[in-house]
Amino acid sequence: MTLNGWLQILVYAALLLAVTVPLGAYMVRVYDGRMRWLAPVETAIYRVCGIDPAEDQHWTRYAGGLLLFSAVSMLVTYVVLRLQGHLPLNPFHRVAVTDHQAFETAASFTTNTNWQSYPGESVMSYLSQMTQLAFHNFTSAASGMAAAVALARGIARRSGGRIGNFWTDLVRGTLYILLPLSFVLALLLVQQGVIQNFAHYVVATTVEGAKQVLAMGPVASQIAIKQLGTNGGGFFNANSAHPFENPTAITNFLEMFALLMIPAALVYTFGRMVNNRRHAWALWAAMFVMFAGGVATAYWAEARGNPIQAARGVDVVAHGGNPGGNMEGKEVRFGIANSVLWATATTDASNGSVNSMHDSFTPLGGMVPLVNIQLGELIFGGVGSGLYGMIMMAVLTVFIAGLMVGRTPEYLGKKVQSREVRMVMLYVLIFPAVILLFSAVSALLPAGLKGLNNAGPHGLSEILYAFTSTTGNNGSAFAGLTGSTYYYNTLLGLATLLGRFAMMVPMLALAGFFAERKTVPASAGTFPVTTPLFVVLLVGVILIVGALTFFPALSLGPIVEHLLMGAGRLF
Amino acid sequence: MLDLVYILVTLAFFGLMLAYVVGCERLGRDGSGEEQRP
Repeated sequence: MTLNGWLQILVYAALLLAVTVPLGAYMVRVYDGRMRWLAPVETAIYRVCGIDPAEDQHWTRYAGGLLLFSAVSMLVTYVVLRLQGHLPLNPFHRVAVTDHQAFETAASFTTNTNWQSYPGESVMSYLSQMTQLAFHNFTSAASGMAAAVALARGIARRSGGRIGNFWTDLVRGTLYILLPLSFVLALLLVQQGVIQNFAHYVVATTVEGAKQVLAMGPVASQIAIKQLGTNGGGFFNANSAHPFENPTAITNFLEMFALLMIPAALVYTFGRMVNNRRHAWALWAAMFVMFAGGVATAYWAEARGNPIQAARGVDVVAHGGNPGGNMEGKEVRFGIANSVLWATATTDASNGSVNSMHDSFTPLGGMVPLVNIQLGELIFGGVGSGLYGMIMMAVLTVFIAGLMVGRTPEYLGKKVQSREVRMVMLYVLIFPAVILLFSAVSALLPAGLKGLNNAGPHGLSEILYAFTSTTGNNGSAFAGLTGSTYYYNTLLGLATLLGRFAMMVPMLALAGFFAERKTVPASAGTFPVTTPLFVVLLVGVILIVGALTFFPALSLGPIVEHLLMGAGRLF
Repeated sequence: MLDLVYILVTLAFFGLMLAYVVGCERLGRDGSGEEQRP
């Protein structure tokens, strides 16, 4: 670990804090309809789509709209991917995406997962990238934000289960937040050298005299929203380790910053909407504590390097021009600090983009991204999904605190009774159930084992990571699993759908149930949700729930691999 | 042929999710507590 590395991590955290209030306040104005600088466009969309922006929807109607939009857009994407060979903007004559890959890709992009079992530059046409994948990058992010805002409304008011209008939330989030930010970020990326063109692929001669085909394309525009929308699906197979996606230290910082700025700011938006900013800062603090813990652990593990290499005389200590530590799978341009910071941020969020290969991390370093996702991606988290995930855990925390003192728990003035707890428990249990069940089945079936590139505990980690990443709608890969098979494409596609919608529905139900309840004033028996004690209890509940559900699986994967590494065995 | 299967799986999944919405709504009515009783 170096001082320079820590300073860069510190600057990142400070800027994240700095952007929280202004962007959060801006988003409050967007979602309550006061932001009108694109009013003509917004009104035109409502008119064309037949949306009544004044309609205040019951939670069931809100959820129905979200599901309908997702179903239709997923099916359209499936059809376009299957027909891309006959459609325009296909100068390199890309053939149809295979059926299983089209299913998984459509499911994956609809759910903000963006798991890619294909190299984007050699499978997708420009039309598929621009009209389908980029479309989902915007709308899946806007859907997540809409759901989080709906939950905030449910807590903030008493309206007979009405939590806003899905269609206006979707349009406003896209129009006023994602599009302008993406536009600015894309321009900055282009200025730094990220390519944005429709040019033919370039054939270059390498230093050794070999011929290499360099893919071109409209990259910057896709990268901007892939980061801002916590999507993660790269234009190139190497994702943000590719010099055309991420050419400089500045683009590396901008892309890392973009992936957490909206989730961090949304916490403040929530505080303003429920009129309790101190609670929002308590949530922010809990997120930051876990973020810092993840970065520090991964940095320590990677900077320490592989002891087997050290025992064989490899210099793993950082000095001069030698970065030291474990540099396998990392870009020399970015080094260890920026690789672990990216890996932590991208798995705290539901982003999934990478600038280094997580499969090549040390066992404990690689366990950090895995655990981040398994905690529910609520450490700032995906746009919207991170916030509502954290709120679900906050409700669970006040419920547990209420059990301790024998009082009916309240959350921000709303009583938490059996139906609310049922929804929280559905939310909490579906996630590990899908991951562990699908991983266990895959570890037993020949079709599941066929895709593995490593044996032993590392192989189990690869399977576990794949289902954790897809169910968590993250999309990052351990890179050691061949996922482009009928078995994995189908099962991983189903995991993305369950991880998104089977968790979103009980969350929206909770929003509706809260919106039916009156707000009760805080009393002497109310557990305060603005204190350091609450932050400690919240972090404790998240870690205990995560540990109880995933520790056995982690023990058989990265933990045993770490112990065997100490004994001189590698996988 | 498998295209039809994948399309039907997608439709079945979202149909199931709509039923899940109805189920959650009913579950909420059953456990709404005193405050919501007429």
